[in-house]
Amino acid sequence: MANRRQFLTGLLAAGLVPRPTWADAGSPAYLAAAARPDGSYALCGLGAGRDVLFQIHLPDRGHAAAAHPTRPEAVAFARRPGTFAIVLDCRSGAQTAILSAPEGRHFYGHGAFSADGHWLYTTENDYEAGEGRIGVWDATRDYARADEFASGGVGPHDIKRLPGSDVLVVANGGIETHPDTGRTKLNIPVMAPNLTYVADGQVVDTAELGREWYKNSIRHLAVAPDGLVAFGMQWEGADGPVPVVGLHRRGEEAVLLDASDEAMRQMQGYVGSIALDAQASKVAVTSPRGGVVQVFDVAARRLDHTIVATDASGIAPGKSGFVATSGLGAFWALDANETPADSRHDLAWDNHLVPISNPA
Amino acid sequence: MRRILCAIAVVLLPSTSFGQDLQAITDDVVQGHILPRFDNLKETSDTLAAAAADDCSPMVEQLRTAYADAFDAWIAASHLRFGPTEVDDRAFALAFWPDSRGVTPKTLAALIADEDPIGAAPAKYADVSVAARGFYALEFLLYDEAFSPSAVSDYGCKLIQTVTADIAATTTAIDQDWQQDYATTLTNPSADAHYRTDQEAAQELFKALSTGLEFTADTRLGRPLGTFDRPRPTRAEVWRSGRSQHHVEVSLASLKDLAMRLTGDNAGLQERLVAAFGRAEAQLATLDDPAFAGVADPQGRFKVEALQTSLSGIRTIIRDELGPQLGVEAGFNALDGD
Repeated sequence: MANRRQFLTGLLAAGLVPRPTWADAGSPAYLAAAARPDGSYALCGLGAGRDVLFQIHLPDRGHAAAAHPTRPEAVAFARRPGTFAIVLDCRSGAQTAILSAPEGRHFYGHGAFSADGHWLYTTENDYEAGEGRIGVWDATRDYARADEFASGGVGPHDIKRLPGSDVLVVANGGIETHPDTGRTKLNIPVMAPNLTYVADGQVVDTAELGREWYKNSIRHLAVAPDGLVAFGMQWEGADGPVPVVGLHRRGEEAVLLDASDEAMRQMQGYVGSIALDAQASKVAVTSPRGGVVQVFDVAARRLDHTIVATDASGIAPGKSGFVATSGLGAFWALDANETPADSRHDLAWDNHLVPISNPA
Repeated sequence: MRRILCAIAVVLLPSTSFGQDLQAITDDVVQGHILPRFDNLKETSDTLAAAAADDCSPMVEQLRTAYADAFDAWIAASHLRFGPTEVDDRAFALAFWPDSRGVTPKTLAALIADEDPIGAAPAKYADVSVAARGFYALEFLLYDEAFSPSAVSDYGCKLIQTVTADIAATTTAIDQDWQQDYATTLTNPSADAHYRTDQEAAQELFKALSTGLEFTADTRLGRPLGTFDRPRPTRAEVWRSGRSQHHVEVSLASLKDLAMRLTGDNAGLQERLVAAFGRAEAQLATLDDPAFAGVADPQGRFKVEALQTSLSGIRTIIRDELGPQLGVEAGFNALDGD
């Protein structure tokens, strides 16, 4: 006999019940985790006009979130080495499911959905083996754990789906950590970061940067509609001006984007977040350590301009250009003659500003 | 839920120091803290190489004592991870630890099994994996039964001489760079130099102190502690030679010296730091757990956890009081990004 869930699913399938969409949650354009003035944490839905549409309480400091492609549903990840993630109904703020990392795994704080929204993929650490894994969760069955496969490297951090496909691109940062030793990096002298492309659980392509950049940990990703991948890095080597932004397209060599020594120095070897604009003509990165946002020209493959912004954190495409957030509460449009000071919220925005993607 | 320990990062903000003479502080740290440590590291490493050349037998007291002295000298300098130590991975070539995948014993065993000629060629030894170089590799050769220290082979003997000579060469290079160049770089900032201001130089020293404390708390103590259900005594640092607790003592003494110098003339802060370090010192004085084997039973574990809590207290004072005084403020994201 059909239970209630199957009955409702049947109705949904028959098109008899309207499916909830992001419009039912106020049509947020972005999700971002934040710390509130009272020290509690929240996941926020943000409008294209940079207003806060909703705040949903989180039990702990968040890192990134993954937005379901159609349903008004967000998966909020704790900061690494978190062992749980929560699924939130963004209409009501209710917690609808919880993802618990299997024994011997922890999350890195990023996830991506399959094109149809059926599967959620999460970057995970098999910390006894010191190998990266991708967890697969079934969004149609309360996010039950369905499978896992190799990430193609160590320390997978960000994961994105290439638009118009179910190919995943994974930033294997290369750094081994173990929950027993907090955030201590265990393998810097022998680290080997890469970009790995995965389809149907199989590695289909890998890109590396060459021996001289083996300490440039590939951490964060942005993808263009045509499959161009922009990646932001965190340098683990000796001080000095180093490039920390690159571009890659499957089947080609990765390229690092150029900037003056002084401009590279301003980044302090550290990209916090990365985004491509809607036209994929510019790539922007934040450096909370350097207190700057830098915008690069994709075609010219070099720095376009630098914006000073204390504790700059999240970055995402705006209506035109980019919008960015900071740990001081700023949420501003880069290209609208605005400064971070023009748009202060009483929220300390956490690392990432996640666009709610258009189905592709 | 597991407490999340923050990585330390530094964000540049306008100085909030109250009239601290940062130049004087930096000078004092370089002359009184850094240079003596790298001099001593070079001297004791030379003595170690000479002792091994004289008699390579791992059981001989002269070699073991020389090893202990040189290793102590490294631990006392091991938080100074910038500039000369980072050229050509020198610090990693002296200290490949933690070795989470057991690469050090594997690499050494392969050299020995093959009697690889590079193991008898000190001048070329820099080409082998960093995992088979330095003080931690030498611990296996001198103290691990798998490497038969009581019946060392001819090749094993040469390998010990090679590793010690390589350590001496590395520490000499670090010391020379500090003497000839980097001491000036740090104490004479200028607009087009690596450090543009005294504040940037002071921030480098602050970062060394913070990450040094973090390493001792999270890694030297955290690694053997593991979890309550699964303590990991054999993941302790240098447990084979029974030096685990000793390393915590040596590193804390050195970090305290640096912390006190960085306080400048802030007597109130000095007092609070002396008290906070004092708690950890008192706990260490009664710990009596040389290899941290005690983490496997609840009582011993409790003592090591209590020590870790004391270190966390020191770190809070450093972050909240010393940082702002040196013009180092940590932002929400800059402090511990991901």
